[in-house]
Amino acid sequence: MKNDGKRPPHVSDGGDPLGTNSQIGLKLKQYYADLVSEEVPDRFADLLRQLEQTPAAAKKG
Amino acid sequence: MAVSQGFKTDLLAAIPSLRAFAMSLAQNSDKADDLVQETLVKAWDKHESFQPGTNLKAWLFTILRNEFYSQMRKRGREVQDSDGAMTGRLAVHPAQQGQLDLEDFRTALEKLPEDQREAIILIGASGFSYEEAAEICQCAVGTIKSRVSRARNRLQEILQISGESEYGPDSIASQVMGSNAA
Repeated sequence: MKNDGKRPPHVSDGGDPLGTNSQIGLKLKQYYADLVSEEVPDRFADLLRQLEQTPAAAKKG
Repeated sequence: MAVSQGFKTDLLAAIPSLRAFAMSLAQNSDKADDLVQETLVKAWDKHESFQPGTNLKAWLFTILRNEFYSQMRKRGREVQDSDGAMTGRLAVHPAQQGQLDLEDFRTALEKLPEDQREAIILIGASGFSYEEAAEICQCAVGTIKSRVSRARNRLQEILQISGESEYGPDSIASQVMGSNAA
């Protein structure tokens, strides 16, 4: 699924217009990679721990 | 049925991606983290409806996205760029000599309508296929394709990096300024 091959920068039909050879594609990935690499606050691990400790009794339906 | 340890581990592993997607949608880290929190709770509650072996990340993204739009509806759908601040910032930095600043890109991305922004993020950054993105957004594959294409064109226009009109800052800038003033 990844576009490993070399593609011209302005492929508009069928190819991968957001591949790493397009400026937009490159920036998108950079933008997103920055977000993904942000440190995750502890609150989420805490939340999962809490959920785990809550008995499944409070089931709806 | 109890939630398996593996499911919990997978949820934990998905959090960075969920936050990135939430940030892309909400454009605000507090809102984004609330979205992620709500997504985790919902995922936990209905873990039985997840089919092991299918794409957990896509399943979680679907939940997060639904949550985002339902919150927007509850708030009466905030208009993007309500104070024009982003538009103002946008017009100042044309991409120069093919160098595209990440901050400019972020600003341009914020200008896109949500449906286009999410489509281009899912396809261009999160690594989903068009089919998966269509499932996440609950629309046709063709719709995703056209949103991605419109998003890309719009970004190129805003950032002035399209092949054809590489140096047309004035017309585009005045367009942007004009729409802000109107």
